[in-house]
Amino acid sequence: MTKEKKLSITIDNRKVAVKPNITILQAAREHNIYIPSLCTLEPLPSYGACRLCIVEVDGLRGFPTSCTTPVDDGMVVRTDTAEIRTLRQEVLKLLLSEHPASCLFCTEHDECKDYQGTIRKVGVTTGCRYCPNDSLCELQTITEKIGLTETSYPVYYRGFPVEKSDPFYDRDYNLCILCGRCVRVCNDIRMNGTLSFKERGKQTTIGAALDRTHLDAGCEFCGACVSVCPTGALSTKVSKWYGKPDGETKTTCVYCPVGCELLLQIKNNETIDVFPNYDSTIDQGLLCVKGRFAIPEYVASPERLATPQRMTPLGYEDISWDDAIDEAAEKLSGINPEDVLIVVSPQLTNEDLFVAERFARELIGTDQIMSVLITDMREETVSFLNLASASSPFNVIDTADTILTIGFDSTYGFTPIGIKIKKAAKAGVNLTTLSVHESNLDIVSGETFQMNVTKWPALLDSIMGKMPGNGKGTKLKPLNKVVVIGAEVIFSPKRGAVFEKIVEMKDRFGWKVIVAHPYTNLMGLLAMGAFPGIKRGEIVSDGTKSTGPAVEDPLSAMDLARHRKVVYLIGEVPFENLPECDFLIYQNALSVKSTRKPDLVLPSSLFTELSGTIISAEGRILPIRKATDPYGKSMPDWQIISKISEKIKSGALKYSSISAIQTDIKKQVKSLSDVKKRLEFRKISAKTSGKGRTGKRLSDPKSSRKPWEEKYRGIALKDVVSGMLVIEERRRHE
Amino acid sequence: MNKLDKEITLAKKKWASFQDNKEPIIYIGAASCGRAAGALDLRTRINDFIEEKKVKATIIEVGCIGPCYLEPLIDIKMPGQPRVSYNNVNAKTLSIILKSHLINGVAHAKLALGHFGKKGFEGIPQFYELPMLKPQVRVVLRNCGLIDPEDIDQYLAVDGYQGFIKAITTMTPDDVIGVVRQAGLRGRGGAGFPTHKKWAVCRNSPGDQKYLICNADEGDPGAFMNRSLIESDPHAVLEGMLIAGYAIGASKGIVYIRAEYPLAIERLKFAIKQMKDCGLLGKNILRSDFSFDIRIKEGAGAFVCGEETALIGSIEGKRGMPKSRPPFPAISGLFGAPTIINNVETMGTLPNILRNGAEWYTKFGKEGNRGTKTFSLVGKIRRPGLIEVQLGTSLREIIFDIGGGVQKNFKAIQTGGPSGGCLSEEFLDLAVDYESLAAAGSIMGSGGLIVMDEDTCIVDLAKYFLDFTQKESCGKCVPCRVGTRHMVEILERITHGEGNPEDLLALRTLGDTIKKGALCGLGQTAPNPVLTTLRYFRNEYLEHINNHRCRATVCKELIEYRVIKEKCTGCQSCVRVCPTGAITGPRSEPHNLDLTKCIKCRSCYEICRFDAIAGDAIVIQTGEKKS
Amino acid sequence: MPETIEAIFKKHGRTSDELIPILQDVQKEFGYIAQESLKKISRYLKLSENLVFGVASFYTQFRFTEPGKHAVKVCLGTACHVRGGSTLLDTLERGLGISCGETTEDRRFDLERVACLGCCALSPVVQIDRDIYSRMSVNRLTELLKKYE
Repeated sequence: MTKEKKLSITIDNRKVAVKPNITILQAAREHNIYIPSLCTLEPLPSYGACRLCIVEVDGLRGFPTSCTTPVDDGMVVRTDTAEIRTLRQEVLKLLLSEHPASCLFCTEHDECKDYQGTIRKVGVTTGCRYCPNDSLCELQTITEKIGLTETSYPVYYRGFPVEKSDPFYDRDYNLCILCGRCVRVCNDIRMNGTLSFKERGKQTTIGAALDRTHLDAGCEFCGACVSVCPTGALSTKVSKWYGKPDGETKTTCVYCPVGCELLLQIKNNETIDVFPNYDSTIDQGLLCVKGRFAIPEYVASPERLATPQRMTPLGYEDISWDDAIDEAAEKLSGINPEDVLIVVSPQLTNEDLFVAERFARELIGTDQIMSVLITDMREETVSFLNLASASSPFNVIDTADTILTIGFDSTYGFTPIGIKIKKAAKAGVNLTTLSVHESNLDIVSGETFQMNVTKWPALLDSIMGKMPGNGKGTKLKPLNKVVVIGAEVIFSPKRGAVFEKIVEMKDRFGWKVIVAHPYTNLMGLLAMGAFPGIKRGEIVSDGTKSTGPAVEDPLSAMDLARHRKVVYLIGEVPFENLPECDFLIYQNALSVKSTRKPDLVLPSSLFTELSGTIISAEGRILPIRKATDPYGKSMPDWQIISKISEKIKSGALKYSSISAIQTDIKKQVKSLSDVKKRLEFRKISAKTSGKGRTGKRLSDPKSSRKPWEEKYRGIALKDVVSGMLVIEERRRHE
Repeated sequence: MNKLDKEITLAKKKWASFQDNKEPIIYIGAASCGRAAGALDLRTRINDFIEEKKVKATIIEVGCIGPCYLEPLIDIKMPGQPRVSYNNVNAKTLSIILKSHLINGVAHAKLALGHFGKKGFEGIPQFYELPMLKPQVRVVLRNCGLIDPEDIDQYLAVDGYQGFIKAITTMTPDDVIGVVRQAGLRGRGGAGFPTHKKWAVCRNSPGDQKYLICNADEGDPGAFMNRSLIESDPHAVLEGMLIAGYAIGASKGIVYIRAEYPLAIERLKFAIKQMKDCGLLGKNILRSDFSFDIRIKEGAGAFVCGEETALIGSIEGKRGMPKSRPPFPAISGLFGAPTIINNVETMGTLPNILRNGAEWYTKFGKEGNRGTKTFSLVGKIRRPGLIEVQLGTSLREIIFDIGGGVQKNFKAIQTGGPSGGCLSEEFLDLAVDYESLAAAGSIMGSGGLIVMDEDTCIVDLAKYFLDFTQKESCGKCVPCRVGTRHMVEILERITHGEGNPEDLLALRTLGDTIKKGALCGLGQTAPNPVLTTLRYFRNEYLEHINNHRCRATVCKELIEYRVIKEKCTGCQSCVRVCPTGAITGPRSEPHNLDLTKCIKCRSCYEICRFDAIAGDAIVIQTGEKKS
Repeated sequence: MPETIEAIFKKHGRTSDELIPILQDVQKEFGYIAQESLKKISRYLKLSENLVFGVASFYTQFRFTEPGKHAVKVCLGTACHVRGGSTLLDTLERGLGISCGETTEDRRFDLERVACLGCCALSPVVQIDRDIYSRMSVNRLTELLKKYE
């Protein structure tokens, strides 16, 4: 790449060298020259509406806005003349006459602040907290910078009712200054189109068509509009009155295998809000509703388990960790390996899974370690795992010329993938959508098929039949074809036939596959060998073409009909086909309502309270970073397992820190040592053991997990996060 | 010989026989203004008459010849005689005219307005010697009212498309730009930017696809030059587009026209079809390398779409919100391609320049302000209508010589519509050119001239304009959206008699902020009517503020209605029209007006004024309410 | 029988610059932009309904409720204003009992204001449906409305 030639411009008598194709505002910011601006925000396209960033440019008439005017070689710019200062003040006065501004100009302002915290009910000023954005507001900052101390114009209070009927965030358009950031982020960045300017002139408002709720208008509740709003017009329901956070921690979302970067907002040792990171190379800041809004409520749920508990005839009683560890160790000591079943959640960290796997295989000596995904995927478990591990990185969409989505909807999840597809389709890429219910991508697709899953294999056949390169001897340049499969296939009882077709598309026609499944750290789970028949590290490709292990049908191997002495659930809840057992250990973060009540309850910490790593669907190793202290007496899963092990056999699995585990992982799982590399995975083959399935059959597949169900560590998000209930209700009825 | 040449030869023959008509021709002025005055009703009556009397006659609908106040206009041309124009024709006069002129062959001198012959005719003045027409120079409007706008042959016969043919057969695009430069043509849309400069930028911008847009979104209230030209001579505008398209290298032309002009749209569509039939549109026009197509896009009711970038947004299917420039449309416009937007009148001027040469054109106007300009002269003027004068003509000539002066005493003239300024009597000798108007705080604008007399309240007028721009503000930028709203409210207060002297300073500051701070032309010029009236009619503002007096008796809050008992005949007309029962009284006795019930709807005033018996028995008084 | 919306689509491409022409045709045919039309247009052009509404609501031409039988438009161009256009509007508002932009209860009349009809020399002007009435007065107006049932 050739180095771009720099341009020379003069800003406020300072000669500076700047990149071409940037605006005056960008140039000024690069050189730390302050120009006030409200409507501009990277990475949104510039808009030029607030008129605060006006400057003078030699040769240009009037006062051009620096956010829209591109730099030009030899340009002479003045950003701070007396005339500009006056004009900015006047414009700001006008702007503030559409925005209640007592937080700025109230004569009692300072005094009021002092009294804000008072709890006295008697006749003292306790502060008018009408705006949730006080102290976060960009208007306050700008007013201070511009030096405005009073305004002479009356305020036009628009008297809109505050819109509270949608989940997750409230809208008070009385505070809106029509900067259009939300409209631009919704349309240009999120490609969603829920927000639009409506009407015009002084009647202009922002919202959905015909005063529809955002839920009805196709909103993804990604909260991007809330993040970019400079005022208090848009505010997150859960955190709106918290004020300024006192810290921020960058971590990775654990709700699905995309692995979006999260900026956790911390106040008083609590996660109060989550912001996207627009600089993220993984998700470009395109969080979905779960990452953006479903975390604070989950981690602070009233259902959180704070202490270990034991079941007694009178109900649960709180016990000490020592007693709890003793009891668990006692039940597991010297047990026949066949009498134990360990169930791990694919939403645990690599470190948790590594320790759990060692615990099962080394300490207990059993291969009976499983994940509930095998009861979701049943006979198709192996083909599902192979599709998931052959998944391509998401950026294949950027270069695709043909995209097919099957049963995929990105409204409330996998938004970084969905938005990539939307962008591609808008740019003219051939997009076909196939689904049972309407998909949010239908609106941009060239061809839309809505039909029952049973008809899909035939349709996929015809799509393959039309593909160039099908005939013999035709030499065609390699086509970039991508198929994205989503929950409607994965959780359909008829998925087997569809999986077969997708494998054919992949192997025979070179389609690249992306599997949008909900098992966050599935790849980590497989890599750590926390799965029947797969050893630690066995599945991670070392770059050679060697194939992976052959595994027995996991359902037969696990034989869930067989009675166990102890079942140990780690980050999972009692599931429908849980084997009967004498003793059930429930190690999780939230209490659970189930027919088989746990005998021992061990409180786990959640991902905002611990460190670790996961492996994303793209095969990247991503960091989980501790943001707050563990809830109550809870501990990370690995730590609990380690303590139990220590009790059973001293020194067996003694880990005192996450880094110690990571050192061991690197030692034992060679390919994981190079964390920058994207991991690739070997193909598993199914071993026909000849051993038929014994015992009772699994319950009716129709009762299995539904495509719209969102779970974390076995708990449905809708049961914990109020807004998710609204969303799931909607999806169920679609 | 190609198809077009044949067509032209045929057209000329047809025209010659048309001029030398063997049977009577009846012309009906049927542009929108004529139609509003009842032209179509007259047409039915003429048809009936001809049928009944079994007379042979050709009836053609022509466009608007200019003096709208004389509508409906019916012209009759008998074989071997000049065409005679009759004005303000109604059902009654029509039958008199038809009987006299069509049946008996005698032009009705008393009802006639003028004739189009070279010499005197039957005691009727020559049309172009009429005081309203004499000072005018008809370049753009040369065919208006004279040819059938729906017949391309008539346009071809009067040397139509010759300018384009000359350009495409004998000139390079750069030559064309050169001629336009020599002619000194400036954009007629309002700002007066030299047309050739814009063109050259566009021509030199890289891009395979370039667009030419003809801006017919004539949004200024009180301006109708573009409507009239398109309705009366659509081919002139379309020929101009061909010339411009050729010069800048565009292959696609778009006419962006107000949906409020259905007749103009109809005529354009028809004309475009005729052009296609003659091979004047499409691929390789006249076997040249030049290919060009024209589409019509209807506006959807937004004044701001007259602004270039908003217009482009609107064509692209977006909200018509202006964008900051640079980049200028000539470099990055419609769909990001180099785009030229020219006004209808600029287009209409081009064929004349190309046909007659730059030198011919520079005979009109003066240095820096070459050529002619059309204006819609309306308001409290005796002879309102569409006019065309050389640039540099004084306001006095326009108002008094052409317009016949003002009904009552002249007070002010608004040039440039809502973006323009309001000039007082002292500017009557101001030459109408871009620079002089700007120096006076106004603008040329697209050509609306609104004349006001002492019955017009200046503060009310300023409020009217501000209210208009405020309602049309797109709402994007703060100064325009909020600033104009504050200005309107202050003006509202003043017209309600609740103003205070500081308001005038606030208006100035606001006006200044909006002018400097607004994003687009709409905002930047919106304060002009207020700023100019503050400058030239300050006293009228102060009267409203200090004395609560509206001398024009317009501001409702400051006036009241009274019955002049001595004059009232008790005819009860006002009693009947009063919607609130405020006027009472038995027949033949002076009536009573109950001020507490009066809503100042003006109904009684109007009916009394127009009642021949009662005379002005109801008066409006001012300045007493608050005192 | 009104044309179906699908027939209107056939006359237009699927690029976003067709949005306003399609809205215009739909309104011409149906008198307004119904919710159902909004949805269909959105699907046809692959634009969100919210965006389509955002564009449509910017322009005064489009309405989202069923129109009355007759459209009464009062011209408030400058020439009409100085010659009493707003008095005409006041009279109509009072006479019809509705404000500008509304429809009478019996759905007989819609009342609107227009910026300028371009008949300034014949001001003040009122348009009812397709007919333009020039040199209007308050008293003539009342008579005129009776003609429209």
